[in-house]
This record gives sequence, C-alpha cells and structure tokens, in this order.
Amino acid sequence: MLLISTPFVKLAQAQARILGMPQVPTVVLPHPIGGTPLDGVLAKVDAAFDEIVAKLTSPLPQASAVASEPLPEPVDHVDVDTDDEWGELQRRMLALGWGDGLPLVPPTDARVDAMVRGAGLPGDALVALVAPRMGACTVRRLASSAVMAGCRPAHMPLLVAAVRAMAERPFNLYGVQTTTHPVAPLVIVNGPLAQALGVHAGSGLFGPGPWSNGVIGRAVRLVLLHVGGGQPVDIDKATMGSPAKYGYCIAENEAASPWPSLAAERGFAADVSTVTVVGGEAPHNINDHESTRAGPLLAMITGTVAQTGQNNVYYAGEPLLLLSPEHAATIAAEGFSKDDVRRVIYEEARVPLRRFSQENIERRFWRKFPKRYRDRSLDAGVTVAQRWEDVMVVVAGGAGKHSMYVPTFGATRSVTLPVLKADGSPWRPQDGLEQG
Amino acid sequence: MRLNSPEGRPVPPGVAVVPRPASLAGLRIGLLDNTKAPVDEMLAHLATRLRERIDGVEVFHVAKQHPSLPVEPEHLAALRANADVVINALGD
Repeated sequence: MLLISTPFVKLAQAQARILGMPQVPTVVLPHPIGGTPLDGVLAKVDAAFDEIVAKLTSPLPQASAVASEPLPEPVDHVDVDTDDEWGELQRRMLALGWGDGLPLVPPTDARVDAMVRGAGLPGDALVALVAPRMGACTVRRLASSAVMAGCRPAHMPLLVAAVRAMAERPFNLYGVQTTTHPVAPLVIVNGPLAQALGVHAGSGLFGPGPWSNGVIGRAVRLVLLHVGGGQPVDIDKATMGSPAKYGYCIAENEAASPWPSLAAERGFAADVSTVTVVGGEAPHNINDHESTRAGPLLAMITGTVAQTGQNNVYYAGEPLLLLSPEHAATIAAEGFSKDDVRRVIYEEARVPLRRFSQENIERRFWRKFPKRYRDRSLDAGVTVAQRWEDVMVVVAGGAGKHSMYVPTFGATRSVTLPVLKADGSPWRPQDGLEQG
Repeated sequence: MRLNSPEGRPVPPGVAVVPRPASLAGLRIGLLDNTKAPVDEMLAHLATRLRERIDGVEVFHVAKQHPSLPVEPEHLAALRANADVVINALGD
C-alpha cells in the first residue's frame, strides 16, 4: 500500500503501471505533510485509518480491471497533413506532448536517417532504458530528439554516451527525474571531441552562444521528456523547475587548467573523449576580483559554498566547483593541487549548526548523523560533502574573476563514460565525424 | 509530412502481485519510511492505531537511507522475510 499526498498521486499511479502493478492500493492524504504541525498530520492519519484497513483487506482486482490508463505504446511515425513546418506543425507537435515548449526541428525521415548514420549504429539498437517510464531509448528515438533539438549527426556518439551515463545506476535517474529538487543532468565534455564538435569551454560557456552546448544539452533534456516520460507537473515534481532543465552542457577548459582534467582524474587517456553527467542545480556565481593569494581566494570561495538549504549539507553529495582559469591559476601558483582544493572545501566550507532551524538540527542532523552532530555545540560546522574526495573541481570559463558553485542533488553520483565508435572502441580525432 | 516519434516504448520489469489478506488480524505489517519529515512520527502513530484496533497485529518500521534512493537490499530482505503487508509512506 502507498500512503501519498495529493500532488504525488499521478506519479505514484504512473510508476505502479510501469511496474505492472496498477492495482497496488493507494490512500491519499491531503497535502502538505512536511513542514506542518504534527497534530494536523496525525489527524490526517486517523481520518484515513478505516480506508487504509479496508483497502488492504479488499479482494485483489485484476490488473486489467483497474481503472487506469494503459501503458503508452508509442507509434513509430506520425503523419500530419501540413507542410507548414514552423506554424501548424509546431502546434501539432506540442499537442502530441513533444518538446520543451520551444520550436522543434521537425523529425522527418531524411533528418532522422542522417542522424542515425551519425551514430554509426543500427537505428533499432538499444542505447538505454530511461527512467522513470523505463522507456527504450533506441538510436532512432534518440536521433529523433536530437533532430528536434537542432543537433547535427556528428553529435550522436556523444549523445549516446550521455544517455548511457545517465542510465547508470549510481546516477539514480529515477530520483533525478521525479524529485521536487531542481536538479538537471549537467553534461561535461572532456577530450578532443569537445573542440571537434564546438562544445565551448571558455567565456560564456553556459550560454547563450553559437556553440554545440545548447543543442546537446537540449537533446539530453528532450530524451528525458520523450523517452523517460519526465513531463513536468505530474512526473517531474520539481517545485520550481530550473533554467538548467532546458539544456545544461559545457566542456572543461583543459587548455587553461593548471591541473589534470576531470577525465584524466577518472583514468581516461588524453586522446579519449568523455562525457560526465552530474546531477546538479543551476550554477551560483562566486565573484572575487580582489584576492591575489590562494588562501584569501579560497576563503571567498568556501564562503559561497557554505550555505544552508542546499542538498549537499543534508546528503552524501558531490558538490561541484567550477573554477575560472584565472582563479585556478591564482590557487595553483602557490602549489595547490586539485586534491588540496578539495580538502580546503571539505574542511573550511562548513555551515555552523546555529544557522539551521531547530527542526533541521534535530531531524536532519541529530537523527541522520548522530555521531557527527549530536551533543555538539551550535558552532559545530556541517560539511558540504561526506568525504573530501567527493568534492568535484573543474576548470571552466574564460577571462575574468568569476567562478561558479553547482550544488548537487545528493541522491546521485556523477558518471563518466568514454565516447565510443560503433565497434566499441573509444572515438579518437583521427576517426573523424559524420558530416551533415 | 511524416514525423518520427521520439517517444520510447516502456519496458516493464514485471512484478508479481500477491493476493490481499481478508483481515489484518494476527498479521505482520511492515512500515516503510522514506525519511521525509515527519513520516516517522506519522508511521509511529499509524502503528499505535493498528495495534490498538487490530487483534494480534505485529508492526515494525523500516527507514530508507534517502527518500530519493531505492530501498536498501537489507531492508527489502527484512520486509520480504517478516512482513505480510507493507505500507509505504511517500510523505512530502
């Protein structure tokens, strides 16, 4: 039996259908449950008690007899009687539930065929099952979203790797797609493919700009909507949503970094290209134009990172620091390695318990981390990671004294995969790219 | 004009559904807590009511590590082994 509050009914029903158990009994309690006086919550339980017992003990209906929508059975093609690509056809595609609300490049046979060729894989090859719908993302379905997003065929190998990375269990795509938190998969590209595809790593890399960042990020989002079924409101339960959910893709500025790249840290050779997916919030700026030494600059950075209200203080997350090349150079000039930066963030970016409400201190910290915080002074600091190794450091951006902090979801681990050729070996620059 | 659908066909994992009991009397009820506030107090209250009103019922409480992660294998095994009925509270 599921006890759920009102706004989550459709998500629960959809998941029960996907799991093949639409007849699972549900009892709906009036929302909200959290953040309300306990007396009221317990009264809701009392009011629902008879229904709970009755539904647990009533005969099990056949799945076919349960009033619920059948599982979606997507067609392969949709015929539309208009050639008005940027007018009537756009309205038709919106009516089909396709897209992110922005105009879509119509996924015609010719365009999708070209995109499939770009992948170098059969159109019916399975890329991954995409949560929460557990939709089968074949190369052709991915190619359709890629066309709609404005991608080129050359983007396909990278998109295949990104979708596979999101489907890896540690990424927890089910949680990423359905949480109330404003998390979006940030795709970070490393290696020579970034330059070959025009994935921008320098000034203004989060956009806007005439680079591949926008269309790659958008194609990833369209796959999450079209294949994963992560439609906002009913399934994607993000309270606020996020501009990052329209598209969130960058490259690491390896040329301007004084340190090994993210891919190198994860064991990939310099001529292998990778995608890393990080379940993160939209980035928050860190402005420091004045500090000329590593210590004071890191103090400014840790001051921005150490904030209440982010998931990283509550859970075992991987906070992501995006250092601008100039900030990274200032820090590295005094001999700091990436690991040194990680240790500083872990040790210094702490939020004193007194900055949290008493309810959060008691419920979040005393109960979940009793050894660390129970019976501690209110001056005790809450870390933004459970281990210093979990802090991620990436160099990105162009000229200027602005770095960024990306708080992460907490119930997700970043995943890095190589971009592969059709034969399963890593793509390398001499392999070239499909044109078109 | 012919458009290619970008939608993915669901691949259900397939779950067997057991019959429901005619009565909760004497049964073991597992309460699965997603750890969102205040589900623990809510389920403790439900456990009290179940014990008060249902003869011979046994109730036990299992809490996930994180509301957005799947239930841990050891908790799932405990529910399988010790519960006739499971109530999963998805509070928010």
